[in-house]
Amino acid sequence: MTEFAIRTEGLTKIYTEITRGGLKRRVTVGLEDLNLEVNNGEVFAFLGPNAAGKTTTIKLLTRLHYPTRGEAWILGRSNAKRETMRQVGYLPEQPRLYDYLTGKEFLDFIGRIFGLNRQDRNKKIIHLLKMVGLQGRADESIRGYSRGMVQRLGLAQALLNDPMLLILDEPMSNLDPLGRKDFRDLILELKKQGKTIFFSSHILSDAEMVADRIGILKEGRLVSTGTMADLVGSQVTGVDITFHAGEEDIKKIQNIFKEAVVQGQEIMLTLENASIVPEFLRRIEHWGGQIISVIPHRKTLEELFMSELGR
Amino acid sequence: MRIWAIALNTFKETIRNRILINILLFAIGLILLSMIVGDWSLNEQAKIIKDFGLSAMSIFGLLIAIFIGIRLMVQELEQRTIYIIASKPIHRWEIVSGKYLGLAITLAINVLLMSGALWGAGWIMESRIDFGLVPAIILIYVEILLIVGFALFFSTFMSPTLSALMTLIVFVAGHLIGVLREYVQMFPDKSFNWLFKAIYTIFPNLEYLNLKMAVVEHLSRSPHAVIFGLLYGIGYILIIHLFTIWIFQKKDFK
Repeated sequence: MTEFAIRTEGLTKIYTEITRGGLKRRVTVGLEDLNLEVNNGEVFAFLGPNAAGKTTTIKLLTRLHYPTRGEAWILGRSNAKRETMRQVGYLPEQPRLYDYLTGKEFLDFIGRIFGLNRQDRNKKIIHLLKMVGLQGRADESIRGYSRGMVQRLGLAQALLNDPMLLILDEPMSNLDPLGRKDFRDLILELKKQGKTIFFSSHILSDAEMVADRIGILKEGRLVSTGTMADLVGSQVTGVDITFHAGEEDIKKIQNIFKEAVVQGQEIMLTLENASIVPEFLRRIEHWGGQIISVIPHRKTLEELFMSELGR
Repeated sequence: MRIWAIALNTFKETIRNRILINILLFAIGLILLSMIVGDWSLNEQAKIIKDFGLSAMSIFGLLIAIFIGIRLMVQELEQRTIYIIASKPIHRWEIVSGKYLGLAITLAINVLLMSGALWGAGWIMESRIDFGLVPAIILIYVEILLIVGFALFFSTFMSPTLSALMTLIVFVAGHLIGVLREYVQMFPDKSFNWLFKAIYTIFPNLEYLNLKMAVVEHLSRSPHAVIFGLLYGIGYILIIHLFTIWIFQKKDFK
C-alpha cells in the first residue's frame, strides 16, 4: 500500500473566462502550484477563506475539473484513471441530490454505478441509512428533505463503496450543532476503521477537534501545512498570572506593566515571554504577594489562521 | 452496467416530470380531437385524422425534446447533481450515452401512446387499424431522437434559452432544406446563397424522415426510402452524439 492517500505535484488551475460578448478575457488563478501530501489513515483538514481554492482542489482531485498544469495521485494511482475513484467517496459542498427520487432509490442508483449486485446494495443501503440516521425517512422523496438530511444522505452515498479515502467539501456547513457533533464522531469512527479523511472547512473549531494535520490555503496557494502540534500545539504565546499584592506593590507593578488589570487587591497581567515567568513568580513571593493562578496560553488555530492570512 | 444505471435514472426522472405528462396528455387529446375536425370534411375524415395525428406526433416530439431534453442536461449541470455522478468510476461518455438512452426509452413510450391514440381514432372512424402508418411512425421516432440529440448537444455548452432556440432552428431548417436547395439552384447569384448552402450542408434533411404524406395518401414508396431515412437518421444521431460526448468530456463542471 502506498504511503500517501493523496499526493499532488505542481497542481495548478487557471480559469479563463470570456466576458462582454467575447471582447474581454478574464484570467483567474484558482489554484497555484499545489504540492500536497496526505498520509494514509489520517484526518486532514483543508482550511482557507472563501475563494482560497479549497473547492477547486477538491474538484481537481475528483476530476470534475481538469488541471492546467500538474498532477495528482490518489492511493498511489493517477486520478486521471477512472478506476482510481472506486476507492474514493466524495461529498460535494451543499450537495444537491436527485429530488425526484426517494432516499433509498438514490442510494440504489449510486450502488448500480459501482456495479454492486442487488443483495449487496440492499444490505449496504440499510446499514448506511441507519448510520446517518435516515432509516425512517428512506422511502420519502428527497424533495421533502431538510438541508441537514440531504447532507446525511450525501454522506451515505459517499460511503456506499466502502472507500479508503473520503473527500468531503465543507461537510459540516449545513448541520446544526448536534449534527456537527455526530459528524465529528463519525469522522473519528471512520478514521478508526483505517480510512483517510480529507475535508475542507471554514469552521476552525471542527477542524481543531478532529484533524491530525491541517493545510491552510490562501489565494490559491498553500501557505502552511503540518500537524496540529507542529503548528499550534507547542508554542506558548503568553502566560496569564493572577496574584494578590499590597497597595504599594500594585502601584510599582502598574508602573512597569501598564496593561495590568487591577481589581481590589487582585492583579492580573500577561507575560509574553514565558522564560521570565519563574523569576517573576520569585519576585512576587519576595514582595509578599500571593499567587492565585498561572495560565500559559498557546496559539489557537484561529490565531494561526489569521496570522497566515495576514490579518 | 453503468450506462444502464444512468438510463434507468433518466427514465425515472422524465416519467416523473409533470411537463412531459402534460405535453403527452395534450398531444393525445389533440389527436382524439382531430376526429371532430375530420367530421367536417366529407369522405376525408380518416385521411385528415392520420395527417393531423402524425403531424401532432412530430410537433409534440419537438416540444418534448426542447422541454425535457434540454432541461435534463441543464438541470444536471446547474443543480450540480453531476458532481456526485461524474466523480464516480464512470466515464463521461457513459453519462451522456446513459442519459440519451433513458430519454430514448421515454420517447419510445410517448410515441407508442400517441400512436395508440391515433390508431384508436382511426378505429372509431374506419373500424380498422392502419398498420401502413408504421414506417412513418418509426421515422417520426427517429426524427424526435435526432432533435433530442441536438437538444442535448446544445445544452452541454449553451444556456437553456439559446439551446431551445438552436434546437428549433435545426427543426425548421431541417424541414426546409429541400426548398433552400431549390432556391440556390434557381437563383445561383443571390448574395445569401452561401448561408443557405451552409445550412443544407450542415443540418440534417428532416424531409428524409418525413413519410407522413406518403402513408396518408397511400402513395407508392420504395422500401429503400424508408431504409435510407432510417440509416440517415441513425447516422446523424451518432455524429451529433459523438460531438456531445466530445464537449462533455472536455468540460469543467462549474
